[in-house]
Amino acid sequence: MSMEDYDFLFKIVLIGNAGVGKTCLVRRFTQGLFPPGQGATIGVDFMIKTVEINGEKVKLQIWDTAGQERFRSITQSYYRSANALILTYDITCEESFRCLPEWLREIEQYASNKVITVLVGNKIDLAERREVSQQRAEEFSEAQDMYYLETSAKESDNVEKLFLDLACRLISEARQNTLVNNVSSPLPGEGKSISYLTCCNFN
Amino acid sequence: MADNLPSEFDVIVIGTGLPESIIAAACSRSGQRVLHVDSRSYYGGNWASFSFSGLLSWLREYQENRDIVNENPAWEEQILENEEAIALGRNDKTIQHVEVFCYASQDLHDGVEEAGALQKNHASVTSANSTEAGDSACLPTEDESLSTMSCEMPTGQTPSSDPEHALEVNDVDTTGEKENHCDDKTCVASTSEEETNENVPTVEDIAEQPKQNRITYSQIIKEGRRFNIDLVSKVLYSRGLLIDLLIKSNVSRYAEFKNITRILAFREGRVEQVPCSRADVFNSKQLSMVEKRMLMKFLTFCMEYEEHLDEYKDYEKITFSEYLKTQKLTPNLQYFVLHSIAMTSETASSTIDGLKATKNFLHCLGRYGNTPFLFPLYGQGELPQCFCRMCAVFGGIYCLRHSVQCLVVDKESGRCKAIIDQFGQRIMSKHFLVEDSYFSENTCSHVQYRQISRAVLITDRSVLQTDSDQQISILTVPAEESGTSAVRVIELCSSTMTCMKGTYLVHLTCTSSKSAREDLEPVVQKLFTPYTELEIENEEVEKPRLLWALYFNMRDSSDVSRSSYNDLPSNVYVCSGPDCGLGNDNAVKQAETLFQQICPNEEFCPPPPNPEDIILDGDSLQPGASDSSAVLEANSETPKETASLGNPEEPSE
Repeated sequence: MSMEDYDFLFKIVLIGNAGVGKTCLVRRFTQGLFPPGQGATIGVDFMIKTVEINGEKVKLQIWDTAGQERFRSITQSYYRSANALILTYDITCEESFRCLPEWLREIEQYASNKVITVLVGNKIDLAERREVSQQRAEEFSEAQDMYYLETSAKESDNVEKLFLDLACRLISEARQNTLVNNVSSPLPGEGKSISYLTCCNFN
Repeated sequence: MADNLPSEFDVIVIGTGLPESIIAAACSRSGQRVLHVDSRSYYGGNWASFSFSGLLSWLREYQENRDIVNENPAWEEQILENEEAIALGRNDKTIQHVEVFCYASQDLHDGVEEAGALQKNHASVTSANSTEAGDSACLPTEDESLSTMSCEMPTGQTPSSDPEHALEVNDVDTTGEKENHCDDKTCVASTSEEETNENVPTVEDIAEQPKQNRITYSQIIKEGRRFNIDLVSKVLYSRGLLIDLLIKSNVSRYAEFKNITRILAFREGRVEQVPCSRADVFNSKQLSMVEKRMLMKFLTFCMEYEEHLDEYKDYEKITFSEYLKTQKLTPNLQYFVLHSIAMTSETASSTIDGLKATKNFLHCLGRYGNTPFLFPLYGQGELPQCFCRMCAVFGGIYCLRHSVQCLVVDKESGRCKAIIDQFGQRIMSKHFLVEDSYFSENTCSHVQYRQISRAVLITDRSVLQTDSDQQISILTVPAEESGTSAVRVIELCSSTMTCMKGTYLVHLTCTSSKSAREDLEPVVQKLFTPYTELEIENEEVEKPRLLWALYFNMRDSSDVSRSSYNDLPSNVYVCSGPDCGLGNDNAVKQAETLFQQICPNEEFCPPPPNPEDIILDGDSLQPGASDSSAVLEANSETPKETASLGNPEEPSE
């Protein structure tokens, strides 16, 4: 692993109703483009982008739902080893906001206790069709102790900020963990190795 | 969410058990349009794992299931003149003889609820802030399920006395408990750095207060999501077909594994550890020098037995157990080899089978650790889900809580052409894969099923305590009378992420001869003691105490030949439910065979393109500038012994 060219590796997982723009956020951030239409990304498990924050290389592995949210059939294993969750809704779609509590329950059930959750209201480029006010979303995120941000994947508004801020928080969390616990102590249920990166050498 | 399904697919898969999920992944991977549905609200069917509350509602669902009356099916109008319908069954009959016992003290604070419990069976859960235990009606229903469940015994032999005893547990602190307290304390110290939940009193908190040093039922409920309770108890052979498939297909990236840390044997009323690796044999304190040499010599022979035909050909006609008696092995060693290494019985295996099993065991040894087995973190139920994720990544469409009313068969061609789902929607496809339990009694009237007896126990300590409390053990208890089968015991510790801290999750499995409780209770009584007996005899602290127990029988459809189902069109394929075996080879073989019938000449689950190949690096990246000594990974906290399957090394033994 020491051969890998990064200082930190984080797994970030997107959730939220179908059609709120999860894939667009990922594509905008990792590839700098806004995919027109609903071109499903067949065969792409996750996207990767390495960024530099205060001189440290941070590799972000960003996982999308693979369409399983469409009929509310996301696998539990999808949540298991995420360091951060981006819970997304569409500011022009009341329904996608109303479903947030349901998503939070799934998070509570399956994700690690220490996962960082960010609430994202996407599609602010369609402000004239807004159904969910910023204030409501802010109140909700405060009550749930989440960070909150509004974005536009289309106009590239706040997308960089979303992921970079998240990376900063993940770094400081990781630092705290290594200070509080000695490095060798196991913390099952969070920040675990991603299989294909590691090889089995505990023997 | 009110999204409509497309009306045409290449393959429709009904049921999300392991074989179905592997096939769905394989088909999707080779470009087929796959629809994968399950009528249940969870993945895995009888391969699923549940949180504690999830398990209780699974039990409840089985109760309610029985009451479903078939109303007039609406789909009949949709069947055209040149078509026939094969109705699918509406209730799952695969689980029987469910009995639940609670021994842990039920110091009921009203309205205890699993933190963040998900009511999976209700389609819309809307309350935003019910994460804290509220004053809900949750517990009464659970009680109800407990008491009514045990009434499901066919005759009136309901074991009512035991649960009632459990309720009588009082708060008197005994010396026995004080001694135990010390044990628990060391346990807590070594695990206290694991994640803790701020909302819920953890074992750590409890251990500070000697008077409450015991796990209560309400704690089990509260910490319920720490449990991932497998319906089917299996492990992965580290050179088995499933491991090979996980690695080949890269599905291994969705899961993590731990080594089974020890193999145990139950002999003369005692549990002991079986030395199986070279290092184990040499370090063993229970074996004499002579025995060590004997065992090593025999195991070395087994590794390459095929090359020494002359040494065993005279014994080919007798059982493995007879054969072992002819070898230079003490009774002790014979027992270990027969029951714990070859995992067979006195009568079950021929010499060749036994040698083959022993060789397989040794061959798997050392690939990932000191025993030949791996266990998936969060339980066996993760595995089907991992393959489903793979299927979805390649475009497969997933629908839980979606039932299929019937298959539509074209009279002329005799082939199945569509399904009609619960909403009456007709969905066309070329191939249909159906898990056995979905068929109606009409289809299965000639099918003979076997049964699996299962028990799930929550206990307060390991059957064999050592300096580490985080052991994962497999124990085979041989059958006592002929005609019954050996009982396989798998004990899981909390670091497998399948039970709360301070408890162990114990799975017992055997081929049924009677009801699960009749088959398994004798073994449970040998190994464990009900929680209440502690106050009386505190000298017998070695036996773990039972906090909670569940018995049930599961139907085993693994051996059913396709021809015993009535009138299935050639493009309807049947997947079986879980088998009784320890490994998963059966499921993988079945999946590969069926896949090849659906997609002849296609590769089975080839590796997907590496997501790393589509990396777009940030502008600021300077390749090669990283100082490896300063590397601090987010995942450096990974349990070291967690096995990742990515790039396995050759055995070190």
